[in-house]
Parts: sequence; structure tokens; C-alpha cells
Amino acid sequence: RGKMEEGKAYSPDGVFAHLEMLEARAHEAAIKQEETERQEEKLARLKARVRELRHQRDELQAKVDLQQNGQLGKEGAVSDPAQPSARAVLEWKIKSLKAMLQVFYLTGISGKLTKRGVCFCISTAYEGTYLDSYYLDLLTKSEVQIHRHSIPIFIPLEQIAKKYLQTDIRRFLSVLSDHLNAYVGRRYQADQLQERFSDQIEGTLQRNSLCNLLVFNYDVSSKSKTFPFTARLLYGDLCCSLPTEVTVSPAPDAPASLAEMAAAHSDLFRRVALHKAFCSFSSTEES
Amino acid sequence: MDETVAEYIRRTVLKIPRDEIKTMLQKWGFLSETQLQTINFHQIKENISQDVVQLCEENSADIKQAAVLDIIYNHIYPNKRVWSVYQMNKAGEETEFFDLTDFKKTFKRRLRSALKNVTINFREYEDNAIWIRIAWGTPYTKPNQYKTSYVVYHSQTPYVFVSASVLKSNLPLLCQALVVASNYHDIREMELRSHSLNSLKDIVFKRYSQNFQTYYPRPLQERNVAPESADLRIIQENKNEKERIERVNREVFGDGPQPKLEFAQYKLETMFKSDPEMDVLDKREPFRCLVKFSSPHLLEALKSLAPAGMADAPLSPLLTCIPQKARNYFKIREKKGFFPGSFVSP
Repeated sequence: RGKMEEGKAYSPDGVFAHLEMLEARAHEAAIKQEETERQEEKLARLKARVRELRHQRDELQAKVDLQQNGQLGKEGAVSDPAQPSARAVLEWKIKSLKAMLQVFYLTGISGKLTKRGVCFCISTAYEGTYLDSYYLDLLTKSEVQIHRHSIPIFIPLEQIAKKYLQTDIRRFLSVLSDHLNAYVGRRYQADQLQERFSDQIEGTLQRNSLCNLLVFNYDVSSKSKTFPFTARLLYGDLCCSLPTEVTVSPAPDAPASLAEMAAAHSDLFRRVALHKAFCSFSSTEES
Repeated sequence: MDETVAEYIRRTVLKIPRDEIKTMLQKWGFLSETQLQTINFHQIKENISQDVVQLCEENSADIKQAAVLDIIYNHIYPNKRVWSVYQMNKAGEETEFFDLTDFKKTFKRRLRSALKNVTINFREYEDNAIWIRIAWGTPYTKPNQYKTSYVVYHSQTPYVFVSASVLKSNLPLLCQALVVASNYHDIREMELRSHSLNSLKDIVFKRYSQNFQTYYPRPLQERNVAPESADLRIIQENKNEKERIERVNREVFGDGPQPKLEFAQYKLETMFKSDPEMDVLDKREPFRCLVKFSSPHLLEALKSLAPAGMADAPLSPLLTCIPQKARNYFKIREKKGFFPGSFVSP
């Protein structure tokens, strides 16, 4: 009892609610801080690793230089001292080449010259998980042509090729890579939803090959009762893994207070990956 | 329960191999676990099917549920039917959103507006495959559940897999309903047929193994290398040639399993080339003939021809182009240039 500072809510209910809110805020702030600290730690670790690798590289480079200089000096000398150094150079070359190829593969688009053109490999990833790789075998004799490929049939390859293949091959690969990455991202989210949150989904998740339209019913708990919501996610931009249009509606006979929650969910689905949104539902319910 | 439905269910159960009956009934989900436990699945199939019909009677099964059981059976044993592939075209370039509910509604409405007496059932599977079962009637008779066509469609793709089996006259109706429901303009039959539905999918969806040249180090596959003879006096004379054949074969066929086709048919309309002095044919006319290759697994057989020493490597492109051209029916006319045979596009 008694007046609170700054003339806030006077009644006991208000005090508790206020306290709860402060608690929640502090909790959120703590989580955010933890997150930032973790990120900084990770960054520091990676920086240290980069320094380590650079040091290693310099060491090896020095070794190579040394041995090459040594070899020039002893031209007539046979076998043993020369052998290990030639072998070491070769091994070093192979190792650095493999690392280079690995880097190219990790960047997502890599290519190899073939007898009649180029073969490209587009590797896709979503949020740190490497997913499928797709290949394009191009002929570059007179005009650029697609000889063979393993692009899924529902990706509009012909359209993209018509626009960019002849004029700007970099753009072609970039646009195609965007389509493929967005597709695997959408598919990953839908798969995650089905695998990890199947208990909250009522009935089946309606999807399609491109995963650009998802319709499903899910359970929402409010005040220890569960209510079904229907969600319809439309991904209008095929190069994007977030939906452009979202409709979330509670059941027709649901209490009016749920309308606000539906709107909040709708907004969340538009901004956040689907499985992460569901993660946050379960965590807010727990707290 | 309708007599015809009972009989239909009985006959469907009889088709299923005895060891699979229980699992399939469970997948069907129409009979409860307790009901299924009352059936002795070790008796002869005749009796099992009678028991099943009895239980369906208790649950008042109708034709819709019976049709679902039929779809499940055909989904597990698709290779009992012959499948053709149809390709659809569209002019527009808008992004397709493919709403499943709209598709089903439009398809049913379109088909029923042309022919009222049809039974249409849908079932969707994990891999975005939509199975459609259609039982055909006539304007004056009820649908005949034993005259069914099956359609398998993957959303947002231009390919449809059809097992028509009967009543070719209904195909145009079916095609039109498909085109309208899936938002395309026209549809044509491809020259590609097989019993193996999955292999047809592999071919048109390009899921079969193609050997792409990349730098990304793939683990070298351990191949079955016959143990080198312990006796050093025995030498492989043709080692180089053997290795060359292996290499060429791998380049053409890839490393993985081949799609399963049963035959390839070549209709020749080429001139007979004989020694002019022999003068076999009086008229200079194309010599019409049909060459058909059959095999339980044609592409694997072709792949093994050169290593077995029965053919030269590389094989004729006419044989090796089958998966890439997505066809196993060819028409060959006179060569004009170096292109190996001209194909008639249907």
C-alpha cells in the first residue's frame, strides 16, 4: 500500500502487473545481452582462428621459399635432400588447392571448364545449414546453351534463361541461385514445421512443390484453453524465403480477444522464419 | 452397404499379397485397430476378404472409402500399370501459387460438366504428388469401378503421369480437366511410356544420375574390382581397352542406377543401303521397319553391353539419348547431316 513513485498504478493488481512486466523486461534484456555476448565471443574466436591460419600460411610459405632457394643452390645433388622438398611442395600445393576449391564450393557458385563449355554447381544453404547442390552444364560454342541440368522442374529456369543467359551470365547465375536458395529455405521451414511442431498442427500441412503457398491449422493456447487458428502463407516473391501475404484467422466462434493474437501472429510470420515463429510461441507459453 | 461396393472391396483385397493386407488396411484407416485384430490374417485370402467385407458392412462403407483403398493399393504397386507421360504448356509467365483446394474443385467441376457419371477421388502424398482416381461411366450408366484411370500430378510442374488403361475416348475429357485445373494452355502426349512410374518421374524431373563435371571432391566410389589374379604370370592384355570402355560408359551413363524402362522402339523410314550391284529393291523407297528393344531393365542392359564385350563403346547416341530426350519411341528418317537421325517431334 502507499503511493508508488511517479504516480503509477495505485491498486494492488496494478502493482503486481507492473512488477511482472518489469520482470519480463529484465528477462528479455538479459537474454539479449547473453546473445550479444555469445556473438562477440564467436567473433573473437573466429578472428583468432584467422590469425592462426594466416600464421600457418606464412610459416609454410617461408618453408617453401627456403627449400626452393636451397634447391637452386645444389643443382647437381641427387635424390634425398631434394626429394622430400619436392614432395612437400606438391603436398602443400594440393592442400591449398583443395582449400581453394572448398572455399569456392562454400560460396555457393562454382564452375569447371569442360570440353564444350562450362559446368556450374550451385550449392544452396539456409541459415547455416548446407542443403542441395544443383548443376548446369552449359555449351559456349556460338551462343550459350543449356546442355543438361539438374534444376528442379518447378523452378522457372527457362524464363530466367530467356532473360539473362545470352546477355549477362553472371546475372543469370545470381538470379537462379536466388531462386534455388529461396526455394530450399522455404522447403526447410515447412519441413521443420512438420517435424518439430507436428503436435501443434491440426490435420495436414497443405503445401506445393515450390513451397510458395502454405495453408495449415494450428493450436494456440490462451488462458489454459486451446483454440484452432488457420494460417495461409503466400510467398509472392520466389527469391524470398519469407511470405509476402499472411492471413491468420481464429475459428469463427472464437472469443474476440483472440483477434489481436491472430494479428500479432500474422505479423510475426511475415517477419520471422516459420519454425522460429513457432519456437517463440512455445517459449512465450512457458514463461 | 451397397452390393457393388462390397464386391469391389472384396476384389481389391484379393489383389493384395497376403502378407501386406494388414498393413494396407491400417494405412486405409477405415477399420479400427480392434476390428483388424478380429481378422485372422493367416487364413486363405478368400476368407480374409470375406472378413474384411463383413467389417466394412458394420462401418457402412461407401464407394468413396472403397476408392481410397484402391488408390492406396495402386500407390504401393504402381508398376502393375503402364504409365504415359503428358506435357503441358503455358504462355504466361506469372508465378504459380497452386492452391490444392482450388485445383481439386476445378478439376472435379470441369470433368463433371462434361460427363456426370464419374467417381473422382484424390489423395496427396508427402512428395507433393497428387493421385487422382477416376472411374468412368457413360451419360446413361453409373461409373464402372473396374474401368478406372489414374493420374499422378506434381504441383507446379508441366508433366502429368496417366495410366488410362481403358476407354481412350475419355482421354480428351481428362486432359482438358487437367489443363484447366492446373492453369496451363494445352497438353500433349510424350513419346515416353513405362511400367515404372518412379523411373518416368526420374527422367522428366531429371532426378537420375547425370555425370556433371565438378571440382568438388566427391568420394570415389568403390567399384567391384575383380581381385587381381594372384598368379603374376597371368596378364590382362586388354587392360587399357577395358579401362577406356569403363570410362566412356561412366561418362555416358553416370554413376547411379538407371531409370527403369522396359522397351525402346525405333520406327525406321530410311533407305535400304545395299550394294548397288545387288539391286535388292526395285524402287528407291524408304525401307519401313520397326526395331524394338525389350528388357526387364533396358537402360541397365545397355549400360552393360560395352563392358560385356557385346558392343563397341561409345554406344550409338540413339540408344544413350533416351533419358535426356525423355522418350523411348523414336521415328528415324534419312540423315541429312551429321546429326544422328532426325526425330519427329510429335
